[in-house]
Amino acid sequence: MIKISVLLVPALAIAAAGTALAQGAPAGDPAKGSQKVQMCQGCHGIEGWRTAFPEVYRVPKIAGQHQAYLVKALQAYKSGERTHPSMRAIAASLSDNDMADLAAYYAQAGLKTAVK
Amino acid sequence: MTMILRNLLPLAVALALGTGGAKAADLAAGQAKAKEVCAACHGVDGNSPSPDFPKLAGQHGDYLAKALRDYKAGTRKNAIMAGFAGALSAKDIDNLAAYYGSQPPVLAAKY
Repeated sequence: MIKISVLLVPALAIAAAGTALAQGAPAGDPAKGSQKVQMCQGCHGIEGWRTAFPEVYRVPKIAGQHQAYLVKALQAYKSGERTHPSMRAIAASLSDNDMADLAAYYAQAGLKTAVK
Repeated sequence: MTMILRNLLPLAVALALGTGGAKAADLAAGQAKAKEVCAACHGVDGNSPSPDFPKLAGQHGDYLAKALRDYKAGTRKNAIMAGFAGALSAKDIDNLAAYYGSQPPVLAAKY
């Protein structure tokens, strides 16, 4: 199972990155994104981590997700279309370039998992 | 012994939660509904071919169920998903969330 995901994620990340570039949004720099993950990793970097408020469920896995979708999700939190309080506060502090960099970073493979 | 328990306990908990906890989800019914409603955008196995639509394969089932409930309730606003989620029953949501959560993961909790 782990081997499959290790093989699939790079291929899908490359495919996602290619299509995101075609849409005229900031391209996103994974290296810059790696310097901006401090606000993300405490929840999205820990396997099985749960939200605390206002409803308890496991924090979604975002590593390997489509780059363009990650940007859309962050924009939706910033605009208020999505309402999770912590994510709204975090997304409000991000510029379009920050979102593109973070999305480019999380869409790639080879990231680390923290342990509880 | 402690080491073994420490290693096995999270796995056992994850397995229990992945299948919907107390309510047993019907994976076959989830797959049938996925083919009918979700597959065109998200893929039958949750590997969405389009960058605009999220991959669901191996995503946490409780997160997927919450997302569908929020779309249905209108607290998460998306014109496309509102239509699809609005037509799902609570049981459909549990089955779909469990089905996509059970697919080989392409997503991970990493940083």
